[in-house]
Amino acid sequence: MSPSPSSLLAGTLDLLILKTLSIGTLHGYAIAQHIHRLSNDALRVEEGSLYPALQRMQVKGWVVSETKRSPTGRQARYYRITAAGRKQLAAEEKAFRASVSATTLVLDGSKS
Amino acid sequence: MTAREIIGRLKAWLRRDELDRQLAEDVQSHLDLLARDLAHDGRSIDDARVAARRQLGNITRLREESRDAWGFPAIEAVVQDARYAARGLRRAPGFTITVVITLALGIGANAAMFGVVDRLMFRPFPYMRDPASVRRVYIQTTYRGQVGTSATFPYRRYLDLSRANSTITAFAAESEWRFGVGQREASRVRKVAGVSASFFAFFDASPVRGRFFSAAEDSPPVGAPVAVISHEMWVSEFHSSDVIGQPLKVGTLQYTIIGVAPPGFRGTVEGGQPDVIVPITTIPSNMGASSQASYLADYQWDWASVLVRLKPGATAAAATSELTAAYVVSRAAARAINPRVQPDSIAHPRALIGPVKSAAGPDPGLEAQVLLCVLCVAAIVLLIACANVANLMLVRVLRRRREITVRLALGVGRGRLAAQFLTEAMVLSLIGCAAGLVVAQWGGAAIRGLLLPEGSSFNLATDWRTLSVAFACACAAALLTAVGPAILATRTSLAASLKAGAREGTFQRSRLRAALLIVQGALSVVLLVGAGLFVRSVENVQAVPLGYDARPVLDVVMDFRGYIMDSAQSVAVHRRLLEVAQSLPGVAYAARVNSHVFATNTAELAVPGIDSVAALGRFNVQIASSDYFNVMQTRILRGRAFTPDDRRGTPLVAVVSEAMARVLWPGRDPVGQCMRVGLGRGFNMATLPCTTVIGVAENSAQQNMGDDPRFMYYLPYDQVATWDVSTILLRLTTEAVESRAEEVRRALTRAMPGDGLVVVRPLQEVVDDHMRSWRLGAALFGAFGGLALVVALVGLYGVVSYQVTQRMHELGVRIALGARSRDVVSLVVWQGARVVVSAVAIGLALALVAARWVQPLLFRQSATDPVTYTIVAAAMLLAAMVASAIPAMRAGRADPCTALRAE
Repeated sequence: MSPSPSSLLAGTLDLLILKTLSIGTLHGYAIAQHIHRLSNDALRVEEGSLYPALQRMQVKGWVVSETKRSPTGRQARYYRITAAGRKQLAAEEKAFRASVSATTLVLDGSKS
Repeated sequence: MTAREIIGRLKAWLRRDELDRQLAEDVQSHLDLLARDLAHDGRSIDDARVAARRQLGNITRLREESRDAWGFPAIEAVVQDARYAARGLRRAPGFTITVVITLALGIGANAAMFGVVDRLMFRPFPYMRDPASVRRVYIQTTYRGQVGTSATFPYRRYLDLSRANSTITAFAAESEWRFGVGQREASRVRKVAGVSASFFAFFDASPVRGRFFSAAEDSPPVGAPVAVISHEMWVSEFHSSDVIGQPLKVGTLQYTIIGVAPPGFRGTVEGGQPDVIVPITTIPSNMGASSQASYLADYQWDWASVLVRLKPGATAAAATSELTAAYVVSRAAARAINPRVQPDSIAHPRALIGPVKSAAGPDPGLEAQVLLCVLCVAAIVLLIACANVANLMLVRVLRRRREITVRLALGVGRGRLAAQFLTEAMVLSLIGCAAGLVVAQWGGAAIRGLLLPEGSSFNLATDWRTLSVAFACACAAALLTAVGPAILATRTSLAASLKAGAREGTFQRSRLRAALLIVQGALSVVLLVGAGLFVRSVENVQAVPLGYDARPVLDVVMDFRGYIMDSAQSVAVHRRLLEVAQSLPGVAYAARVNSHVFATNTAELAVPGIDSVAALGRFNVQIASSDYFNVMQTRILRGRAFTPDDRRGTPLVAVVSEAMARVLWPGRDPVGQCMRVGLGRGFNMATLPCTTVIGVAENSAQQNMGDDPRFMYYLPYDQVATWDVSTILLRLTTEAVESRAEEVRRALTRAMPGDGLVVVRPLQEVVDDHMRSWRLGAALFGAFGGLALVVALVGLYGVVSYQVTQRMHELGVRIALGARSRDVVSLVVWQGARVVVSAVAIGLALALVAARWVQPLLFRQSATDPVTYTIVAAAMLLAAMVASAIPAMRAGRADPCTALRAE
């Protein structure tokens, strides 16, 4: 059995998508590629769940989408983060960092 | 869920097709790009496509997952459950139809009764402004130890009470009349309301044409002759033309139309809508010159009722005490005019505020009480229907036990299962509710005809109050019927049911089902006892000897509408009218009388040797022409009746009733005795001549059906002709009086002078009105009791039948072992009967408890009458036997071979 990329921590998919979109307007495939690449292939977005997540975020008003022609000349749906989305990103990022540092503290504490 | 998210979801749901397409496009685009990248790594394009698809995973699940983001999953689950329930119900049409009909009868009965009771008692009058603060004034006095309540009193008293203005912001007076309206052939008797100018401020109604009248047009001694007509009359009589300023003869007066009321405006007039509204101070001018002044200035006539609007924050108790104080002052003023007004220490006067609708007031009358009672009965019918449906649903759950078990085993949540049962019950109840409204609208026509005044609209489709009650009934029914099945289903033990496998469950006695049967049975017994009591009570009413035969008699009331006649002319006109009446074809006898049946008058009466005749009771007097006893077929028991020879100038004579003879001259021959009768005003009892008793008539019911002691005496019309006599009674040769009424009306109206008209009514209707409340109770209780019995028997039949199906195997084995078919039948019947015996016992006990409330509604009938109770118990047991005998017969035919083969 080959070592598989670790699956995402629950609830972090939205955070990663929003973070990715905060850099620029991208289509779905590019978002998946981006997360994959930035995490040094460690995080593999379960590609299937990407699209339901994008729709959910559209319903919540965090992202908007529009159809555009890509540089390679293909029709694709591009997603863009909204002001509400940025606010959500800031909140989630803060919460995530807090949770990670707390978890780290515990892990470090039990090492000594 | 935040509001914003709800909006977002709603928006997404509206464009769900587009979102679904977007997702498909995104997935396709993703697949293409991924395949392209994979192909770069050197695979064939087909391999790359397959790999890409594998990498993306289950696309169907993806789409389902993203659908969760739209709309409202909880609501969709309900819709899904409803669809599932509808499918299941369509597959079991027998069950569905039984349940829907049962619930339709229960809900329909409640909707119909509520619609009627609400109209009579609770619903505010149309257009009323802030109805919560509006009340009617009632006055109570004690007379002969009994508290009497009245909602009408003298106009002068209304003015006196108006001084109670620290708790009350506004007063209005209102009175209802039936006057001839219009002229000559076009004239008809119509409902007329006389109201004070302040009355209109109680409503948010503005006239559709012209205006309402002002305080200046409604001030004593006599108001301005201006009239507001109803929208309905404006449309039907005046064809919506410009009527403002047109003359309109109302009663004896010429009015000018100044306005048209908005559609449906009825003020606070109960029953039929008034066609004409006039200033209340113009009403006395219609009462004849002699009494005109006393209507406004005196305390002689009770004719006005009073509406008040409470000050915000004023309590009913404060208003009542302030009004009572004003009433006491008013009585003192009345005593100054007429010293015979009773002292307050005896009369205990009170003026209290109560509901505007008198049927909901302090003295609602027998009919309103019967109706409330029947409303409870309707609720009981619904309860019985619910118990029945719950039982049917339990049986259905048992039949579906395997399916339910499998679903539970597959992991369906028990909560979800319970929700499904509730949904199923709700679907059934709503269909039942719809069917019930149809029942209430069309089938209830009879009830409404019986209960609501003519012309009242009863359209359920626009009646949101009744609709919401029907809907509430449906929801309650759904909850009541779903609880049992839901509990049973969720308590099902998985292992036990799955194991039962080969044979569909074994026979199980269910305590819950037995309890439901007992509830149904017991409540049906209560209703049947009620029905039995009311039927016997109505028999008692009908068995009351009336002392006359009203069936072939027409009651003709003449209205001269102010036609001026001197006394000689008046005598001539009356004589001619009687002659015309007598000469009409099919008229056997005609007589003039001064009182209507059940509305008799009294006069001062003295009898030598008796200190106070009045202390013995109420003695009614009827002043009649000589053929009276022939018209009414009241038998003369002793002596003789009047003849045309008993006229002015001959010795005064009287005929007395048997009861009156017995109380005044016990043990003596009444014929030849002397009484002194003081009629009208200005006489001295001591100097009045003797009126000699010449005959004794059988007792006749002229005041009420019940406790009236039947003290009645008759005086010949020609000897006391000073009284206005405006009623003629006609005895026809046929009992089909309805068909002749119009002919008689036309002939006599033609004979009337001026704009005079006559109103013709079968006398039997008058008699029927006095039996109405008892008839009503018998009819409604009978109908609902029968309904309850049918529903309960259907329930019993269903349950016994189901048990037999379940036990077929066991019964087959019994027969195989030598039991005779007869034994098996009696076994099954006895099991059904046992349940019913307890139901009957409980039902009889409940009926005994309820007897207290029903007693006042019955006529000479004990509410704990053992005969009725016994008959009902026997009937119930017999019916139950029959209901369980049918399935028992089937049990008797259980085939031992089938049973043994199954082993």
